[in-house]
Amino acid sequence: MSQEATCSAASSSIANETVGQVVDRGPISLGRILTNRWFLHTVSIVAFFWLWDWLARSNVLGAGSSVLARPHEVLEQLAVLTREELAELTLWGHVWASTQRVVIGFSIAAAIAVPLGLFMALNRYVNAIVKPLFDLLKPMPPISWISISILWFGIGETSKVFIIVLGTFVPCLLNAYNGVRLVEPELYDVVRMLGGKRRDEILHVCFPASFPAIFAGLQISLSIAWTCVLAAELVSARSGMGYIIVQGMNLSQPAMVIGGMAVIAAAAWGTTLLVTALERKLCPWKRKIVGL
Amino acid sequence: MIECRNVSKTFIQKGSQEVPVLEDVSIDVQANEFVVILGPGQSGKSTLLRIIAGLETPTTGTVILDGEPVTGPGADRGLVFQGYMLFPWKTVLGNVEMGPKLCGLPRDEARDIAMHYIDLVGLNGFEKHYPHQLSGGMKQRVGIARAYANKPRVMLLDEPFGQLDAQTRIFMEQETERIWQTDKRTVLFVTNNTDEALFLADRIVTIEGKLPGRVQRTYTVDLPRPRDLTGKHFLEMRREIIDASVLTL
Repeated sequence: MSQEATCSAASSSIANETVGQVVDRGPISLGRILTNRWFLHTVSIVAFFWLWDWLARSNVLGAGSSVLARPHEVLEQLAVLTREELAELTLWGHVWASTQRVVIGFSIAAAIAVPLGLFMALNRYVNAIVKPLFDLLKPMPPISWISISILWFGIGETSKVFIIVLGTFVPCLLNAYNGVRLVEPELYDVVRMLGGKRRDEILHVCFPASFPAIFAGLQISLSIAWTCVLAAELVSARSGMGYIIVQGMNLSQPAMVIGGMAVIAAAAWGTTLLVTALERKLCPWKRKIVGL
Repeated sequence: MIECRNVSKTFIQKGSQEVPVLEDVSIDVQANEFVVILGPGQSGKSTLLRIIAGLETPTTGTVILDGEPVTGPGADRGLVFQGYMLFPWKTVLGNVEMGPKLCGLPRDEARDIAMHYIDLVGLNGFEKHYPHQLSGGMKQRVGIARAYANKPRVMLLDEPFGQLDAQTRIFMEQETERIWQTDKRTVLFVTNNTDEALFLADRIVTIEGKLPGRVQRTYTVDLPRPRDLTGKHFLEMRREIIDASVLTL
């Protein structure tokens, strides 16, 4: 009796929800279908699009089609953009323009900030020199640099890449730095006891131990890079997804605006997947987090 | 073989407060002898092991290994850690062959040595596993193999089975004896468990329970191996040690 009580208490525990165990494997019944995870996913997505469509059709938000486009209108608008040029570029051209800026800016920042962060963690003189400058830069939102960068570099590629470098620099550096700082110190003792020198401690402990933190920094940086490129393009650009969104706004075409937002989300998601794949390749020892 | 001569250690804590951890510890260990240092928690016994390892320097006194004073960590002493301290980014093989590689052996030779010791600790078939895929007992087998792979003159084990459950612990003690009998080394083994000490030791050195740690007594255990944990002589010695080391708080 008491055994049963503890069992039922365990099955209603929050741990079962968060750990994601399969609780029951009984015969298929209506109740099981209704509580199935994939069924619930489908329900929530269908409900979302239905609500969106209803809001666009009804006049709840005001004067109909100039405020919110219906889902299929967004798709149609995107299809038109792949065929017809906007400012001499098709949709793919604009996606590529934004992606290029993100990749260049992100790569420059990562190539400088990650090694610098590692250096700062390993050498207190480098740390003492760089840290005050970095602390000065750190709290400044990257977007606040847009105006000055346009004054310096004009409205071309350089000013946009500059903003992205500034925005992504901070998390890249911080994570590399903390990655080394948080290494279990006894692991250095292991290397020493096995006959290693300082060089081996850095090579066999510092670098691999900080990899997961570095990759966390890269992931954060990547999403910041997309935010930065969009902001820079919204302010001034003749290409890129931000440009499409601004054009949509000026032409009072919500389908274009929402389409631009959806495409940028897809592009950002794609680059995130690439970094995740790279991390899997380089850190096979990391436990995979299931269900996220 | 190993000689600790009047080793004392005082740590300076924040606010320059001095904490004496070891006082005037002298221990002699003969070649291929299995010596267990037995003492309760916080008695400085791990610090003593770290001093012998060369990871800490004694405040006064010296540690002499084969006639040479110990000045720092080195591959001639193999250390097994209480918290395993495996490299999570390396496989079992990668962990074990690390020592021979760091000592400059060619890749093939390092691998052969590593495979030999993985086999000795009973982990053949697991060499491609990562540490997070292993149980506690298996992790410590890797820790032992890794320390053995450098063929050290002395094995230093710092409460190696402290995190294991009681059954696994007894099994690992039997395994430790088997491994030691197969590949004899001088061993210094730190524990707080009297049964573990009596099961493994040629000689037990007890450390007093209050800081600073001092050598209390030395017991020679000449029971035949493998020892019976419930044998008459075993239990008599157990009573003797426990009676002599009851903590006064």
